Amino acid sequence: MSKKKKHFSLLLTTLLTISMALSACGGNNNTKNTTGTGGNNAAATNTTTDAPDTKPAEEPVELIWYTIGAPQKDLDKVMEEVNKYTLDKINATLDVKMIDFGDYTQKMQVMVASGEPMDILFTCSWAFDYVQNSRKGAFLQLDDLLKDQGKGIVDTIDPAFLEGSKVDGHNYAIPANKELPAQEVYRFNKELLDKYNLDLTSVKTLADLEPLLKTIKDNEPEITPYAMVKDFMPVMPFDYVIEKMPMAVYMDTKDYKVVNILETPEIKEALQTVRKFYQAGYISPEVATTTSVDDLYKAGKWFTDRAATQPMADNLWSASYGYPVVSTPAGQPYIYNWSVMGSMQAISANSEYPEKAMEFLNLLNTDPVLRNMIDSGIEGVHYEKISDNMIKNLPDAKNYDMPTFSLGNIMINYLNEGDPENKWEEFKTFNDSGINAPLLGFNFDTSNITNEIAAVQNVKEEFWAPLMTGSVDPDEYLAKANEKFKAAGLDNIIAEAQTQIDAWKAANNK
Amino acid sequence: MGKIGRSAKDIMRNKVLLFMVLPGTLWFLFFSYLPMVGTVIAFKEYRFSRDGFWASIIRSKWVGWDNFKFLFSTNDAFLITRNTILYNTAFIVLGLIMSVLLAVVLSEIANKKLAKLYQTGMFLPYFLSWVVVGYFAFSFLSSERGLLNQLFGSHISWYSESKYWPFIIIFVYLWKAVGYNSVVYLAAIMGIDKSLYEAAMIDGASKFQQIRNITLPLLNPIIIIMTLLAIGKIFYADFGLFYQVPRNSGTLYSVTNVIDTYVYRGLKTTGEIGMSTAAGLYQSVVGFVLVLASNYIVRKFDKDSALF
Repeated sequence: MSKKKKHFSLLLTTLLTISMALSACGGNNNTKNTTGTGGNNAAATNTTTDAPDTKPAEEPVELIWYTIGAPQKDLDKVMEEVNKYTLDKINATLDVKMIDFGDYTQKMQVMVASGEPMDILFTCSWAFDYVQNSRKGAFLQLDDLLKDQGKGIVDTIDPAFLEGSKVDGHNYAIPANKELPAQEVYRFNKELLDKYNLDLTSVKTLADLEPLLKTIKDNEPEITPYAMVKDFMPVMPFDYVIEKMPMAVYMDTKDYKVVNILETPEIKEALQTVRKFYQAGYISPEVATTTSVDDLYKAGKWFTDRAATQPMADNLWSASYGYPVVSTPAGQPYIYNWSVMGSMQAISANSEYPEKAMEFLNLLNTDPVLRNMIDSGIEGVHYEKISDNMIKNLPDAKNYDMPTFSLGNIMINYLNEGDPENKWEEFKTFNDSGINAPLLGFNFDTSNITNEIAAVQNVKEEFWAPLMTGSVDPDEYLAKANEKFKAAGLDNIIAEAQTQIDAWKAANNK
Repeated sequence: MGKIGRSAKDIMRNKVLLFMVLPGTLWFLFFSYLPMVGTVIAFKEYRFSRDGFWASIIRSKWVGWDNFKFLFSTNDAFLITRNTILYNTAFIVLGLIMSVLLAVVLSEIANKKLAKLYQTGMFLPYFLSWVVVGYFAFSFLSSERGLLNQLFGSHISWYSESKYWPFIIIFVYLWKAVGYNSVVYLAAIMGIDKSLYEAAMIDGASKFQQIRNITLPLLNPIIIIMTLLAIGKIFYADFGLFYQVPRNSGTLYSVTNVIDTYVYRGLKTTGEIGMSTAAGLYQSVVGFVLVLASNYIVRKFDKDSALF
């Protein structure tokens, strides 16, 4: 045995020496690499700054572009065409990499943190968070590039977007020109509305839905009256400091006092209504763990739900479900930080060709040919034109179905078959109707309270879904949740938010 | 001089064996030892730098122990630590008993073809992902259409009653893991010298006596090694088991929240790499200390069975 032990320790020492030798090599290589790329970067920026007036015939560059959405079968085919066009226009080609919606945040967090080479990347308020990652240094600050290569963008898109997406006074990404405010609506399955001759004019609040839901529940046992998922939250008169966290100011606030919404009478009343719905069986008993009700939509086995709207949304929904859907407003169109930052393209901090990237983004947001090619694919393959500015999908369109909203200015897109001529005019009217939410332009900096945020996030995960969906009794659980939120440091977060909001208010003469 | 000469001789003599461990060694080097440099991130407020990963690490601000605070700052710290340790202890103890039992039973089945069939059947769940297992569980536990409620005509809302979950979690874990672990023990049993059993039979030992006096004692070293390795992971919870199987239901957190799910829920939106690295480092260090301690205890009682 002792002999065996000796062998074993010999083995261990051998391993250790080899590992040390190797890791030393590895270390050396790495430092060499970093200095190498650092040098290259410096050289690259030097040449590009010198380039414009000295050398007109520069080498074409390839821009690496990460964007959100399910990878498309015909992406390479379309990009071949796109590259011919961009090579001609701005002497650059694209290497587009798509990451699906559910994976985007996590994959990008890892790739950006590890310094994966990239030039352009999608960011927004709901995936790979724009504000936080701007502050962490993931994106290039674009103020100067916007004045120069990005001038077309400034001239084209609604100024409210660029203004509303500033972080600490600077732009770090180009917002897509699209609907600016967010408005919630109650949607209805029209076939059921007609069958029971139900009237929508009286529906203004959640409580107003009750008689309609009761009719459906009593007569249609197969139908889920209210199609709800665990993310549900009643429409409340608050502008949140962080979305879906209990710190907020009232929509009509004058003094910008941050309140804990769990202590307001409004939330209590709203949750009692939801609880009533839940107990009456209008909501699925499993709502607190339900992440998707797509099966209900597909089968048409729902009566009502709530969604964010945009002009002509009813047509869009009806077309996508295959049966008529109508809606009625559940709130007013407010312009929030998160609605302004709903879809953006940023330039990566480690981009080797920031000027070219901005030139491309400029083209994407101003050039209808490029924008439509990236959005709809190749004419004659994926779509055909039925008039100057209207297109019809061909069967192959399913191989190239991009998320339109994520790819820049949507208002230079062709109209789809059946769209009204004045579609984009309607968007502009809708944008003009938006009311600024009180905290528009304020971005909460959480770097002093990261510990509290992590703890509060856990409490939120525990209580939010059961409370908001009516799965538990609000009279009992509101207090319980509040107690736990406070123990996790909610009051510290509110105090920090108040300090920052007061400073912001003073600086902006609110 | 003499020493070096002897070491060189030792290497020469064992070159075949050393060559055989080379792939494993390289694997550990590249995927376990080299990345250890990254643990420095646990002490930094990680911010991106345009010059790549290494520059980001070097330029990020040093914050000392700040990143570790969130793990201990709330009342949940006790809860998640308790859940993690208690569940893992239950997994180690019950998993060991069940796996060894299963291995012994399998080895005693006379029809070898059937034994292979059972073995494969019990092995299979190990290869299913937790997402799939989560849906299996859901088909039993759904309150509307679940098999259990339909079978017994009950109306239990399984995903909001925390009192059932310690049992469900342990049951699902055993169902998934026992088949795989028993293969290790089965292999060890197969390696036992058959003449021992023959001698015992001639002496008139019953099956039960054979198992108690030959199989189990000879399995002892491998049982100890497997248990020591499991103890090293006692601070790691199986994320999929605690997140996917209870369908991330908030009302169950008191019995399903473990260190890994806590870290995930706390940091998934902020993406603070420093804090998640800190959590990982904390888990590894505690696991390392526990392995050393339990190995020390094993050595006290039975020197030959200890890992080192």
